Amino acid sequence: MTIVELITVIFLVVGCFFFLAGTLGVLRFPDLFSRLHALTKADNLGLGFIAAGMALHIASPWAALKILLIWLFTLLASSSTCYLIAHFQKEQDQLKNRKEGE
Amino acid sequence: MSLIIDGLLAILAIYLALQSLLAPRLTQSVFLFFAFGLALALAWIRLAAVDVAITEAAIAAGFLGVLFLDALRDFAPRIPAKNEAVQKQYSKSQTKSLFLPRLTLWAGLGLFLLIALEAVWKIPEGGGLTAAAGTLLPESGVENPVTAVLLNFRAYDTWLEMGVILIGLLAVFAAGGKMAYRKPGVASQDPLLRQVILFFTPVLFLFGAFLLYIGKTGPGGAFQAGVLWGAIGILLHLGGWPFIALMPRWLGQLLLTVGLGFFLVLGFLFMAAGGALFEYPPAYAGILILIIETLAAISIAAALSAIFALLNQIGEEADEIESTT
Repeated sequence: MTIVELITVIFLVVGCFFFLAGTLGVLRFPDLFSRLHALTKADNLGLGFIAAGMALHIASPWAALKILLIWLFTLLASSSTCYLIAHFQKEQDQLKNRKEGE
Repeated sequence: MSLIIDGLLAILAIYLALQSLLAPRLTQSVFLFFAFGLALALAWIRLAAVDVAITEAAIAAGFLGVLFLDALRDFAPRIPAKNEAVQKQYSKSQTKSLFLPRLTLWAGLGLFLLIALEAVWKIPEGGGLTAAAGTLLPESGVENPVTAVLLNFRAYDTWLEMGVILIGLLAVFAAGGKMAYRKPGVASQDPLLRQVILFFTPVLFLFGAFLLYIGKTGPGGAFQAGVLWGAIGILLHLGGWPFIALMPRWLGQLLLTVGLGFFLVLGFLFMAAGGALFEYPPAYAGILILIIETLAAISIAAALSAIFALLNQIGEEADEIESTT
């Protein structure tokens, strides 16, 4: 096993660990905000590690660039989706509180 | 090893499909349907059918998912708002009248299963028409056998498929009326959403164009590109640029029909020249297919975004009626 393969395997395992942690967070955390936090933060990191591992494995600069772009787009999409869902939930909560206050 | 992965994937797909049907809440059903679409896309990749996988992910998980989410938004606030007596009565009358549809559904499902079993049983040895398609590939004008079959050898089927999308849009027109189409959507006030959409618009356009062009040599083509371009329309609509509603009527109609129309006119021109329907001269086949695919992608994109925009607005109008009464 060469040193590159070893690093690839380590990256993939670390990536899987973060995905597992994120999934556990979604299943176990009590409310929407902390679940979103677990899902977007941990999964993005996990995807980053898996992308890095795959880029090393394929070992072609073009493919590595494409994989990097995939990761960046996913980061952008998932963080903005996270913001939108949290924003919506916050508005709903405020509406609810106002109705209960009346 | 690959057998284990394939087996797990097959079990996962069937499990997700069943869960999606049996889930107690509509929200769960919709999200399980997303997961089911992605599992199916992975299965297509395992079967080395990347074209189908892209289409599956884009249309089934992407476009249908968006439509389902939109429908969910319309359903969600209403069902619990109704009082229980009405709901009970409603469900009672529903179970009575549902007998015939259920019978039809089960009979249809049984028939479909029988046909599928027969098809699997009778898979021709040596790959059926694969060899025939392979020998004619140089004459088709493209290098990707899937594109060659879709746009040259079986162009008639593809033409009809585009018609099906257009008919779907017509059905939405019929259900919603033309008034909803003309009504501009409500502008989204969220600056971040608008910025992200503005960022993704050129990216999606570029990727769609790439898929369209790469269809000549590899997995990709008009339908995949059309869905990506349609996603631009949907995103812009959601971000508060309802350009579909603001577009002049003639332009919208032109965009919707240009793919189907050009395809048909071309087909009949070849017939007039003495060939069969959709029999391109091999010398020009490549460029003709590229033009057809581009126009088809534009029409598909326009139809998909119009379907979404219309359904979205029908929902909003129903909300308004609800809130005024």
